[in-house]
Amino acid sequence: MRALDWVVLLASLVSIIAYGLYRSRGSNTVDRYLLAGKTMPWYAMALSIMATQASAITFISTTGQSYVDGMRFVQAYFGLPIAMIVVCAVVVPAFYRARVYTAYEYLENRFDAKTRALASVIFLCQRGISAGLTIYAPAIVLSVILGWPERATTLLMGATVVSYTVIGGIKAVTWSDVQQMGVIFLGLLIALVTVIVLLPHSVSFGDAVFLAGAAGRLNAVTTNFDWNDRFNIWSGLIGSTFLFLSYFGCDQSQVQRYLTGRSIAESRLSLLFNAVAKIPMQFFVLFIGAMVFVFYVFVEPPVLFQHTELARISQSSEYTGVETRYHEAFERRREAALSLAQAHKAGDGAAHARGLADYRGAQQSLDAARASAARLVDKNHGEKGFSDTNYIFLSFVTRYLPVGIVGLVIAVIMAATMSASSGEINSLATVTVVDIYRRHFHRGASDHHYLTASRWATLFWGAYAVAFAGWGKKLGSLIVAVNVVGSLFYGSLLGCFVVAFAFKRVGGSAVFLGMLAGEAAIFWTFLRGNISYLWYNVIGCVVVVTVALTLTWLAPATFAKSGSPPAQ
Amino acid sequence: MPELPDVPDSPPPFLGSWRRVYVAVLIYLAGVILAAYFFTRAYR
Repeated sequence: MRALDWVVLLASLVSIIAYGLYRSRGSNTVDRYLLAGKTMPWYAMALSIMATQASAITFISTTGQSYVDGMRFVQAYFGLPIAMIVVCAVVVPAFYRARVYTAYEYLENRFDAKTRALASVIFLCQRGISAGLTIYAPAIVLSVILGWPERATTLLMGATVVSYTVIGGIKAVTWSDVQQMGVIFLGLLIALVTVIVLLPHSVSFGDAVFLAGAAGRLNAVTTNFDWNDRFNIWSGLIGSTFLFLSYFGCDQSQVQRYLTGRSIAESRLSLLFNAVAKIPMQFFVLFIGAMVFVFYVFVEPPVLFQHTELARISQSSEYTGVETRYHEAFERRREAALSLAQAHKAGDGAAHARGLADYRGAQQSLDAARASAARLVDKNHGEKGFSDTNYIFLSFVTRYLPVGIVGLVIAVIMAATMSASSGEINSLATVTVVDIYRRHFHRGASDHHYLTASRWATLFWGAYAVAFAGWGKKLGSLIVAVNVVGSLFYGSLLGCFVVAFAFKRVGGSAVFLGMLAGEAAIFWTFLRGNISYLWYNVIGCVVVVTVALTLTWLAPATFAKSGSPPAQ
Repeated sequence: MPELPDVPDSPPPFLGSWRRVYVAVLIYLAGVILAAYFFTRAYR
């Protein structure tokens, strides 16, 4: 990082935070602090929803995911528009009519206090873990760029996010999200243009796309059905519909964004904007990763993108052989890529087939050499599972992007982290105060008391996220890890809300036991480890609904809903 | 904590009804998946 990069980075971050705090003036009551006094326009909510979902992980890890596995991860978003329609048609009006601060408050109106408490605790467990992962991602950025320890950078990032979230509440969060999305869009566009410009002169954009496709990096849609395959069109359309239904219908970090709206129509518009914009955005981010892959077809990449680990294993005697094999495979792949591109342009079928076989063969050798290097890291640490996926894009950015642009791309990653973390911490604090503290420990206190409690809760969850962040480095690809953690809890939450909306006869005890059974089923499936995580959401939801309906049918006197809902 | 205000429902600013907006989003999704499928086939 040079001086201009620092200027761009600091100017971007300071202006985002200052703007958010400026727009949050007057957040001096609980309803303004937690729900912005229901004054937000649809475009601010839309960008805030998008920003909360698009953490630094999206840019660091998704590009790396595309580099190693191609673009098929985009299928994990195919269920999003379907889920958004259901949320807009059913969930949004129900929450507005119930006039609730949180999604789980609705569950007490519909079922009982214990169901609300269980749903709140499940949310706090799941979102608390995710908040730690979210805040860990930029620590990777700063440790790569500055060589600072990850612990120190996590603390720095956490302190920044917590300070403006504690002061400004959801208005500061939402308006800084709007700014952050602007920086993110600009940074991504410039990153793509730059990587294309950096390709060798003899390689056109068309050649680059062709070579990415030939290496299997443009596999946006895969139609084979396989339970073990994490990303295909079926797990995308069915599994991710359930995941996003849970995320946007039952996860307070998202529900709280659209409950700040001036009207139901504005909330719906904000969600539908995401339904339309999210898949192209993910496609775009993945495409950047595919183009980075092509760039490294012509410029030799490091054997491992995590330089500290590479430096450690390069001392070992076994590494020399790995490096030699890697270098030879790279040269073979480069030659094969040039021949293949030539054959493709000339329309020479035989040369094309030969070139394709050589290109893919060299790619396999390169992957094998990288895997050997990763095993050396595992051996050093005495544990399996080293992955440098999260470092690929950063390594590219810091080495090859021009001065100024590096600062902007780093600002994108930091901005994304701040937006996602602040949204998560804000929602965790809201559930802690509204669903746990006010409901079970301190009812009927003054508005000022709950406002102060919300600020303390925000501070607590910020500290928790920082403390939990160290776990992130053990989890490989962070974008997958975040979704896996979410899927461990979302299915049973979704099942609970499905019963709430669709089966009016079912009472609180039935759905409470259903949720416990749903969580047990999900963890059993997870521990067996042979089904893609997207299916956990389906399994959890189906088990909750089935158990709740069966109990109500078998013992209606005990489990069917009777009487009027309890007062809040 | 103050009670939250009652918020009104209203039709969308385009296409006349929410049902039509939802159908338009589904058609869009089908288009996006088809485009991604043909993109994959073209560069396989």
